[in-house]
Formats: sequence, structure tokens, C-alpha cells
Amino acid sequence: MRKILLFITLVLLLASTWMALTKGRIEGPSANPCSPVRNIIYAHVPSSICSLACFTVLLVTAIGYLATGNESWDHVAAATAEVGLIFATVLNATGMIFSRAEWGPWWTASPRLISSAILWFLYVVYLILRSSLPGSKQRRARVCAVFAIIAFLDVPMVYISARYMQDIHQPSFTFDNPWQRGAFFMGMVSTMLLAAMLIWIKTDVLKIKSRLEAE
Amino acid sequence: MRYFWLSLKAIFIKDIVTELRAKQVLPTMIVLGMLIVWVLRMASEAVLQSEAVIGPVALWIAFLFAGLLAQERSFATEQRQDCIYALLLAPVDEGTIYLAKLFVNVVLLCIFEIIIVPVVIVAFRLNINNWPALIGVLLLGNIAISSVGTLFSAIVQLSRARGALLSILVLVILMPMMIPATFALLLVFGAIPPEMTGTGALAFVGTFGSAVGFMIAFDAVFVVACWLLFGFAIKE
Repeated sequence: MRKILLFITLVLLLASTWMALTKGRIEGPSANPCSPVRNIIYAHVPSSICSLACFTVLLVTAIGYLATGNESWDHVAAATAEVGLIFATVLNATGMIFSRAEWGPWWTASPRLISSAILWFLYVVYLILRSSLPGSKQRRARVCAVFAIIAFLDVPMVYISARYMQDIHQPSFTFDNPWQRGAFFMGMVSTMLLAAMLIWIKTDVLKIKSRLEAE
Repeated sequence: MRYFWLSLKAIFIKDIVTELRAKQVLPTMIVLGMLIVWVLRMASEAVLQSEAVIGPVALWIAFLFAGLLAQERSFATEQRQDCIYALLLAPVDEGTIYLAKLFVNVVLLCIFEIIIVPVVIVAFRLNINNWPALIGVLLLGNIAISSVGTLFSAIVQLSRARGALLSILVLVILMPMMIPATFALLLVFGAIPPEMTGTGALAFVGTFGSAVGFMIAFDAVFVVACWLLFGFAIKE
């Protein structure tokens, strides 16, 4: 089952990449009309949605662990945080490349840029907390669940507070042809599937590791 | 309800009396705050016209780091000779322990503010026309820093790198609060003239009222959330 899903994910990823690089190529208005930098949207937007989705999953697992005390929730939480960090890193890296090419600076204080940076920091701090807490596994899992809930409450606060800064971010994006739309939505589905597969695999690895430690 | 108030008062008085007698952290907080203000004053010497901009920044930085010192102490003292177990074994709700510790941290930071605010005003030659607004903004910032810091202080109590871990946990959660808090203080200190509010001066947009509203909402959300979650954080 997992192998089939992984195969479908890879096929969708390759297909969306091919569409994005050929018929779905974006040639819209840009600081440099010859620059292909606008095509970064195909990686940037799905990463943004995946990193936020991972945070929501992290909240669900945190509540699940605090409500039941079942260790499986903690394994899913650990896996989700690592995968979320990967997507948050891709989100910030692609955003910085776009910013440099279109606006000049690598980073500037703008609502969505601040929000993405804080999202990345929240993932990093969560993972540092996981790795540096002494004591029993149960205490670590409980404390990490508490931090995940507090961090999730922080996300809407970040989005609201960042509105106090001037926005230079692209307000919205429109596609010129169905190929672009197809490449975008296929990329979105394949990235979501990839995130789910990575969480699934990492959770299994953590479960096996935990079982080996217990024996 | 009466039992709740009695328990709250008992823990609060215990912590405040211990601090005032032993003077463990308050002098360190004040000296650290003054040093931060002094260092930033020296650094801003080259750009004298921006004193009203750097003043609020110095105040928040001093405030954040002094707050971290106070919060680290909240549960570190309980760890000595396992006092924390006695506290947990007492027939008191964990939420009451959290609220008492929160009040202690708020009071310590208020004492710190009373000393450091005049230092900042003198060092950066600031003019304040609206004292109630300044006190309100500082108190809201105080509650935000203390609410998150008190919960995380309980979380990191067993960790060897307690101070470092507490700093990153608190600062990352407080990041969104610092944007409107800095904006509000810039308005209070006159760095952004009222007629330019909302026009994007210094890259900030919005009004003083909305910034204070955000801070009230932040305080309400995190005090309630930390109070509810404290029981999970403190258990062994």
C-alpha cells in the first residue's frame, strides 16, 4: 500500500515539475522579464500550505497525547515536526530567492515574510525542546505537547501582529493558461502526499526505535 | 473560592518574601537592565536623531532579558531540596500555583520597570506626554512576558541548559507580541507623530488603539492557555 502511494506521489511530482518547466512556464511581468524566478511559485505555495498543515497535525497529535497518553501520538508529533521543518525551510528559502530577484533584499520586514520566519523558528525550537529535555519519555512527550499547543496559538497571533508592518508581498496570483493551473494543483496534491508519506515513514522509524529501546 | 484565594496568597507571599529577604534575582535584573540600556545608548551615539526610536527598543530588550532572569528563578528555587514535591503534594490546584507564580513575576517586573523606565528616559532624553498610555503598554507587555515565561520555567526546570532553553522558548512565542508592543511605545515616545499614524512611517501601519487591543488579546489568550496547560507541564 505504502509503496503504491509513494509511486503515485513521485509520478505526480515529476509530472507537475515537467508541466511547470515546459507548458506551464510563467512569463509574467517581472523586474527582469527574462528571469525564470516567478516559476518558484510552484514550490513556494505548496510548501507554505504543507508547513501550516503540519502545524495543524502537530496540534491534533498534542491534544491526542494529552487526552490519551498513548505514545503513538508522540511519534506522529515528532515526525510531523521534522517534516514541517523541511517544508518551512523550503518556504523560506524559495521566498528569499524570489525576494532577492524581484525586490532586491534577501529579506525584509513584511507580514508574510515575518510569519514564515516565525513559523520556521517555532518548528526549530520545538525540535530543540524535544532533543534537550531530560527525564522520562512520558514527561518529554507531555511537555512537547504543551509547547505544541502554545505554539499553535501563536500562529494566528503572528499573522495578525505582522499586519502592523507594510506589505510588499504578492497579494494574489492569477494563471494565464490551464497548463499553469494544472501544474500548480498537481504540485499542490503531490507535495501534500509527499508530506503525508514522509510523516508515515518517519513515524514507523520512531516506533521501531522506541520498541528497540524498550527491549 | 475562599480556599483558592488563601492558597494563592500563601504561595505569592512565600515567593515575594523569599525574594525580598534573599535578594536573589532583583539586583541582577536591575543591573542587567541598566547595562543593556547603557550598551544600546553607546551604540546609538552615532545616530543621535533616532533616540526616540532606539529608546523603546532598549526598553523592550532590557525588559525581556530581565524577565527571563526572574522567570528562571520561579521554579529553580523550588528545585532545591525538592521543595517542588512539597508544593505539588499540597492540596492546591496546579492552576493556583501557576497564577501565584505569575503574580510574583509580574510584581518583580513592575519593580524592575519602576527603576529602569526613568533610566531609559534619562539616557535617551525622551519626552513622555501620555504617562497612563506608557504604564498601560508596559503592564500589558509585563503580563505577556510573565505568562509565557512562568509556564516554560516549569517545563525547563529539570534541564541542564535551563537558562538557554527558557530564552528560546519564551522569545519565539513572544515574537508576535513584540511588533505591536514596539509600535505602541514608538507612538508613546513620539517617534511616530500622531498625524502620521497608519501612514506607514517606520514601516509600521495601524493605530495605537489596535496595538493595545492586540496586546490585551495576546495576554488573555496566553494567560488562560498557560493556566490550563500548567498541570501537564509540572507533573513528573
